[in-house]
Amino acid sequence: MTTLTKQPGPGLSAGGPQKSRRRGKPAADFRGTGDLKIALLFIAPAMLGFVLFYLVPTIRGIYLSFTEYSILGDPEWIGTRNYERIAKDPLFWNALGVTSQYVLINIVLQTALALGLAILMHRVAKSTIVRGALLMPYLMANVIAALLWFWMLDYQIGIVNQLIEWTGLPRVAFFGSEQWAIPTQALINTWRHMGYTALLIFAGLQAIPHSVYEAASIDGSKAISTFWRITLPLLRPVLVLVLVVTVIGSFQVFDTVAVTTAGGPVNATRVLQFYIYQRAFNEQDFGYGSALAVILFLILALVAFIQMKSLRGNQSDLD
Amino acid sequence: MNTKKAIGAVAVAAAAALALSACGGGSTGGDSAKGEISYWLWDANQLPAYQQCATDFQKTHPDIKVKITQTGWDDYWGKITNGMAAGTAPDVFTNHLAKYPDFIKTKQLVALDDAVANDKVDLSQYNEGLADLWVGQDGKRYGLPKDWDTVALFYNKKMAADAGLTAEQMASLKWNPQDGGSYEKAIARLTVDKNGKRGDEPGFDKNNVAVYGLGLGGSGGENAGQTEWSFLAASLGWTTTDKNPWGTHYNYDDKRVQDTIAWWASLAQKGYMPKLEATVGANAADSFGAGKAAINSHGSWMIGQYTGYKGIDVGIAPTPQGPEGQRASMFNGLADSIWAGTKKKDAAVKWVEYLASAACQDVVAAKAVVFPAIKGSSDKAAAAFKAKGVDVSAFTQHVKDKTTFMLPITDNAAKVAGIMKPAMDAVVTGKAPASSLSAANEQVNSLFAK
Amino acid sequence: MTTIDTRPADSRRRPQKKPFNWRRTIAWVLLAVAIAVSVLPFYWVLRTALSTNGSLAANSASLLPADFNLGAFKRVFGLQTAEEAIAEGGSGASINFWQYLWNSLLFSSITTAGAVFFSSMAAYAFARLRWKGRDGVFSLFLATMLVPPIFTALPNFLLVKNLGLLNSMLGLVLPYLFMTPFAVFFMRQFFLNMSREVEEAAMLDGARHWRIFFQIVMPNAAAPIATLALLTFMGQWNEYFWPLLVGTSEESRVLTVGLGVFKSQSPQGAPDWSGLMAATLVSATPVLILFALFGKKIVNSIGFNGTK
Repeated sequence: MTTLTKQPGPGLSAGGPQKSRRRGKPAADFRGTGDLKIALLFIAPAMLGFVLFYLVPTIRGIYLSFTEYSILGDPEWIGTRNYERIAKDPLFWNALGVTSQYVLINIVLQTALALGLAILMHRVAKSTIVRGALLMPYLMANVIAALLWFWMLDYQIGIVNQLIEWTGLPRVAFFGSEQWAIPTQALINTWRHMGYTALLIFAGLQAIPHSVYEAASIDGSKAISTFWRITLPLLRPVLVLVLVVTVIGSFQVFDTVAVTTAGGPVNATRVLQFYIYQRAFNEQDFGYGSALAVILFLILALVAFIQMKSLRGNQSDLD
Repeated sequence: MNTKKAIGAVAVAAAAALALSACGGGSTGGDSAKGEISYWLWDANQLPAYQQCATDFQKTHPDIKVKITQTGWDDYWGKITNGMAAGTAPDVFTNHLAKYPDFIKTKQLVALDDAVANDKVDLSQYNEGLADLWVGQDGKRYGLPKDWDTVALFYNKKMAADAGLTAEQMASLKWNPQDGGSYEKAIARLTVDKNGKRGDEPGFDKNNVAVYGLGLGGSGGENAGQTEWSFLAASLGWTTTDKNPWGTHYNYDDKRVQDTIAWWASLAQKGYMPKLEATVGANAADSFGAGKAAINSHGSWMIGQYTGYKGIDVGIAPTPQGPEGQRASMFNGLADSIWAGTKKKDAAVKWVEYLASAACQDVVAAKAVVFPAIKGSSDKAAAAFKAKGVDVSAFTQHVKDKTTFMLPITDNAAKVAGIMKPAMDAVVTGKAPASSLSAANEQVNSLFAK
Repeated sequence: MTTIDTRPADSRRRPQKKPFNWRRTIAWVLLAVAIAVSVLPFYWVLRTALSTNGSLAANSASLLPADFNLGAFKRVFGLQTAEEAIAEGGSGASINFWQYLWNSLLFSSITTAGAVFFSSMAAYAFARLRWKGRDGVFSLFLATMLVPPIFTALPNFLLVKNLGLLNSMLGLVLPYLFMTPFAVFFMRQFFLNMSREVEEAAMLDGARHWRIFFQIVMPNAAAPIATLALLTFMGQWNEYFWPLLVGTSEESRVLTVGLGVFKSQSPQGAPDWSGLMAATLVSATPVLILFALFGKKIVNSIGFNGTK
């Protein structure tokens, strides 16, 4: 489900410079609306899929958010009552807090680790085997990865806790304690996506021309300042892509929670999408669930917008 | 199911645009005892038994073909509900007491009264009370009983022997909410810390426990403590709801249940039971199988699981006696129901009746996985278990002695679970006192106020 | 910090030309840790798959398989009877492995082919053609990436039902067949980067957009298309929720759903861990093979694409 949005593309990495190059060129031969007919032909199949399986369901979902609907009956229009109830729903605010916590940990951890790995790969190991090994977790389905870790991290019979005990440290209730539950979820996700994200950043690193580094070394820049002054700014388009996609994907965390803690302990992992699922499908309050989903959508749109604006994702400092 | 206009219009447009013809087409057979019917169940361990039933059934009803689909519990109910919305639910399916009130409310089940009357189904052949569970508030019957389960104590025989506890002692434990009685003594005795000190010995280190006297599966908040504490609270005379079935008032504000929970949660503080946070993960049964717990209270459907662990000799003791000397166990029964949207009602009725007959239930009994609803078949199942070397009298005793109470059947079951689970978790982790259940109870009861 | 000057050259020079470098050693150690963390859980999958399920709990601290046994793999391939499986503490559910494998292949290939092809067409229109409302429509497409999938699951389910396609491969495939927002986004980004010169020359020769697209643009985009196809295929191969809703029949049940039988089948029950892990290995194999075959190419295409 969520894998779709978690697949950032390497192709974007050099999107910025291209765009500006195009901007400079008067598109004499592609002017006006002259291509409309042919464009419609090109876009028709995708449009059909878009309208049928994305647009209409979304509009329908928005409509349902103003109704009381149990899936098995008919929807009944109740105006904005679902939204009023959400504003006063402590579980919604809790879900919002828990989700934000997850997003934050996930982003910091995943981006930092992936960036570090990418630099390591770039500097010492370019072999496909290393990259392949780091990519392996990504080949495992989300649900399976969650179950595997659920079992390995088990307090009583999990191998990880066994190892921890052998080192003389106390066992950790990874999923059971309220402090650990969300970080654990984020760690699992980081495990699965770290290598993949590193590979993307790695591609971005490779795109930086050596002449830039050579210039820096002539200036006598130190390694660390080279990193901050040159590498990082030049990586911006890739990093922005990675961040935007990871943040959006993280907000939609669902499968790992659903197959492991199911919202608990108490409400520690009742993240937004799981709460939506619980209300809509378990408790068959589809109207309320839809209203929650609309809010999640608005949050995502806002976050994406702010990120694009504040990080100036479309431009790279290479120009 | 009413088709929404917008979707319908889009669907037509899409069909035209695609110019793809859906293969086949709905062959809507008439209401006759003919054709293929679908049957769903969740327990894979019972699949071979019901497959056998289907084969036998088809011999006597050559016009009917039964197609069995097994789907694990986690996905089962979602698929049924979606199937009902989409018109693809199974004709007949295994139903659960906690789920069927919602199905009645949304008119998804076929009332079986006429069939029972016409075909003279003998409702007295089932273990007492089982048939009544499936009568709705409207007085109509929505399911025919197929099996039942009760609760008992699974214990590690070797650990008990090492602790000096005989099978007789294990079978005659007594409990009260003040000091826990001999039940708590046994649990304490069976608890062993890292240094080999027992829970009732001086110098016991409660923070470094190797074997817990009592295993913990969860707080039981979502299922009225079915296998965790309901058998204790009920021995004090407590009932979950004002009446059952179809109560409209929950009793979690009662002192008896709060005392029970407080005592039970205190076991974790004393180090006799794992903390709740340690039990989220591989389940309680696996921890028992790993030798991390000496006693687990669990339901009879778990017999196969517990006896399947290699290298662990399992004993089964009845739940402890309460202060007044009586035992208690929640009694839960499954049934087969017919979906209201079925196009082959007559055939479905025939199949449900066959499932509820001794012919099929004896087949199930012989496989020794669950206890069938019919009295005679239950005895056969107990004998089949015995033949496999498992003494199940701790489960059957409750039924014989009539010390069972029914799983609470009310509306809003999913919402009640949604409120009670976090509330009970908070109490068991020690974050909130047992008295905090009164607030949750109020929330629950407000569901029934409208 | 004495090696600064060699830094830029570092990445190009062969390592054996250099003397012992402690920074390099640390880098390798860190990398080795990362690789271990990534790969070791797979050992645990294998170890569990080769164990007898009933013995797992008692041997939770053993690093070797508990009661070495191939039964879990037999269960995955449907070679064990329910009775045998239950005796080993495994799941007795029946499983039609080869049928599910075929369904998975069909589902993943068709959706990948369709989504990549149609999305490329759309992406071309978004990147290269000039038409009114283009950016607006593209933003709309992009916005769909933000719609929580759970939101559209039920309406889509009802739509497929109204089309009479429930439990058919076509119904399973349909929502992914025409596009995925990500694929459109990905390909558009690539087309924006592509040099226009060849296209423009062809245009002057009077070639039509169709011809340009099929004879010039697509062949030039072979590498990113391969990358996208592989990513999409992997995503589809692991897809769970939608096939669970729509593909109930034997003809439409894919591997991820079919192997769900190893999860807990009854409330409070324990999963058949060895079966589940064996299934994980077996079902990941096709993706692993794909990766082994094309991995290098993909890595190269990322490089190619990035340096452009």
